[in-house]
Amino acid sequence: MRSSREINRLLMVVLVGFTIIALAAMYWAIFGIDTILQREDNPRLFEAEAAILRGDIVDRRDQTLVTSEAAQDGVVTRNYIYPETSSALGYYSLRYGTAGVEAAYNTILRGDNRNFTAQLMHQPQVGTDIKLTLDLGIQQQIAQALNGRAGAVVVMGVPGGEVLALASLPTYNPNTLDADWEMLVEAPGKPFFNRALQANYQPGGTLQTLLMAAALLNRQPLETVIDNATDAVQLDNVDMTCAVRLPEMPLTLRDAYAFACPKPFEELAATLNREKVQDTFVTFRLNRPPTLDGFPAQPQIEPSVTPFPLITTDNLIENALGQGNLTVTPLEMAVMAAAIINDGNAPQPYTLAATRAPDSETWMPAEAVRPTIPYANANTARQLQDLMRGAVANGAAFNAARPNIDIGGHATIAYSGDETQAWFVGFATIAGRQAIAVAVVLENSNDPGLAADIGGTALAAAHEALRTN
Amino acid sequence: MIPVTETEISEKKSLLNAERVLLILTGAFLLVNFISMAILNSAFNLTDWLLFVVWLICAAVGDWWLARRLPRRDMLMFPLAMFLSGWGLLLINRLTQPFADRQAVWLVISVAVMMLVAGFPHALRWLRNYRYILLMFGLLLLIGTIILGRNPSGLLGAPQLWLGVGSVFFQPSEALKIILVAFLASYLAEQYPALRAEEMSGGRGFLNVSPRIYGPILLMWGISVIILVWQRDLGTAILFFIVFLVLLYVASGSTFILASGAALILIAGVVAYKLFAVVELRVDIWLNPWPEADGRAFQIVQSLLAFAAGGVFGQGIGQGSPGYIPVTHSDFIFAAVGEEWGLLGVIAIIACIAIYVTRGMRIAISQRPQSFLSLLAAGLSMLIAIQSLMIMGGVLKLIPLTGVTLPFLSYGGSSLLVSFIITGLLLRLSAGED
Repeated sequence: MRSSREINRLLMVVLVGFTIIALAAMYWAIFGIDTILQREDNPRLFEAEAAILRGDIVDRRDQTLVTSEAAQDGVVTRNYIYPETSSALGYYSLRYGTAGVEAAYNTILRGDNRNFTAQLMHQPQVGTDIKLTLDLGIQQQIAQALNGRAGAVVVMGVPGGEVLALASLPTYNPNTLDADWEMLVEAPGKPFFNRALQANYQPGGTLQTLLMAAALLNRQPLETVIDNATDAVQLDNVDMTCAVRLPEMPLTLRDAYAFACPKPFEELAATLNREKVQDTFVTFRLNRPPTLDGFPAQPQIEPSVTPFPLITTDNLIENALGQGNLTVTPLEMAVMAAAIINDGNAPQPYTLAATRAPDSETWMPAEAVRPTIPYANANTARQLQDLMRGAVANGAAFNAARPNIDIGGHATIAYSGDETQAWFVGFATIAGRQAIAVAVVLENSNDPGLAADIGGTALAAAHEALRTN
Repeated sequence: MIPVTETEISEKKSLLNAERVLLILTGAFLLVNFISMAILNSAFNLTDWLLFVVWLICAAVGDWWLARRLPRRDMLMFPLAMFLSGWGLLLINRLTQPFADRQAVWLVISVAVMMLVAGFPHALRWLRNYRYILLMFGLLLLIGTIILGRNPSGLLGAPQLWLGVGSVFFQPSEALKIILVAFLASYLAEQYPALRAEEMSGGRGFLNVSPRIYGPILLMWGISVIILVWQRDLGTAILFFIVFLVLLYVASGSTFILASGAALILIAGVVAYKLFAVVELRVDIWLNPWPEADGRAFQIVQSLLAFAAGGVFGQGIGQGSPGYIPVTHSDFIFAAVGEEWGLLGVIAIIACIAIYVTRGMRIAISQRPQSFLSLLAAGLSMLIAIQSLMIMGGVLKLIPLTGVTLPFLSYGGSSLLVSFIITGLLLRLSAGED
């Protein structure tokens, strides 16, 4: 049979075919890793994710807040122990991703920086534990004080800038997140929205502190009596009044600040003029609000508008009274209070205190250089401290007072549309150079006294916590 | 092109010949993997180890028998068959553990039948002399399957390609493969002088092709169409037709036949695409599986994901997730290798099959003096080659998926049995026995 030519040809064709198969396998084995393997519908990603033993989260006093538990089938469940911390800690869900602390330190908690042999040998991925600057005790007292009201509280340590408490209500239960998701997404109160960090609140009367700083710098008299100080200011069909109901009476600028009466500040802003108000706002960095690393920041309402509203002669009054298009976050206000009690130098907020590797017993402090940012000179800052102490001693922030604690603060109202928010921004000092700064905002509330009371509770709790260790 | 020397296929008298060395290496490979499984899986027990013992006995007895009966056989084919089938057994145990015992029983039967084929006097002469009876038997099986066919899974709508007695099922189309190749080899061996003469008569002869050629073309085409239409078994239909074309090409030496056959397949493909939903589905998800990754294209997408997940070195046995691919132990076993042994394992399997086919084709060349034996060897080798290419190309999305098994590796008794019968026949041919 003369067929060896045909047989050899066939064999060559078949061998070429086998080579092509090998090349195709090579293609998927090498290039598939970065392409198709990353597809969201790759069940392996889900499975690998489910098997990761995420690190624990503990508070500054080693109180465990979140743990991971591996079931028999290798699927790990995350347990959030204290509901009071959930708005700060966020969630970790296979289906819906991460938020809050879980998102900010996701890489550390997952333990993604594994070495090659660990990956090769399929050792289970165990994450690093993290210690936060948050204090469970303070969180719990704040939650109790808020009592379910919509709003936010931020407590910061001074001069370090460590965030001692971070609360935002309404919130959600991260333990049942997957089941509740649909309901939570639709919920009118926007529980996933971290008000403490993200909310665009009208600052309202809280800007009076900045106007006072400007007044001090420009040697405006604080003790001159202003006749119509308690009059309401009408702006956009809203009557802005003092933080507490006062009879018609003349007040000094100092007293007007204590009771957060808008009328004298309308006049002050006009006297100071556009340029000086803008300078002060920029010095207090209202154009560059502080953020927490890894956490979502304040979204810009209208991207077309420049981030910081340029103050013009036209919008001077409404912006000076905190009713313009300038908005603030509670974190921003807490940093402002921290700057004032820290002699004008604003500490930068942070939440990560230390990390602990999976097989280690010791905590490694999260080293970072966080220089303070000057907001005001020491002299102005100290005068502002005294003004705020006055507002607590005899003013709208009276409810913030706690026995045997040096507390200063400012309780005010902000108007947004038909609603009002109650603000309290304040501080408490501890022996030595240590202090605490707080910002409280209550939505749909015209009761600055309540905000001050919650602020006082937060400051007292933090005072107690910091003093005892 | 490939020189064949007598010494290469000659008898090895020493105790450790190439065959034994390769079998020992294969045994070591399987042992390592079984140990890995035992470490990994706490439920791994004595019955799992029994699979390895069964394999060892099959390898030892097979080797002993072949050494006795076919001393001048090819020394690579049996170890290759045992390597691939042992790997398959291991994979089935890892993927769908309850099926492994059944596969082990089929391995015993397959090796026993291979020994029978290898030892049966004048087995090949029987194949040749009773080719019409065999063909009738094969066609009866086919008709029987069309009428009485069932599916072991019992699912409604699943292709009913099996004949069953009790809980034992057999796929007649598998047996039909060997019968058809044997029939065609003997038919073409007889027609060979005439075919060659026609080819020699010049290029214009294409227009007046004799019934000698188009007769069997029509027969094979008919069988393929029947399989496709009545059984919706796309893979087998294409396989039959290609193998037949290849044999006709070897016998006639006419590239025109090959080309026109390929054209026929394409035309049939287009027609089938319009007529049969199953063909349309296979082509659609081959062209673009990604939009339907969670629907109709789930299987092929999962298969590609398995290869990607395996990377170069693989996840390691028992450590990947090939279970996401539906029926991975059967058609998609190649993807499971890709995930757990990586590119290295994949290339090892491709290389083993390629070597197996190469050896088979060398046997075909060495048997040139006897047309029937040469055509038989070429046909059987090409059967393994084309079937492997079809399923490997399918799971890698090179060609549309055609549901055929990967010889030796895939789960399925009929497939394994037929692969070993082919091995037995090829061994016999390599030893120069008729």
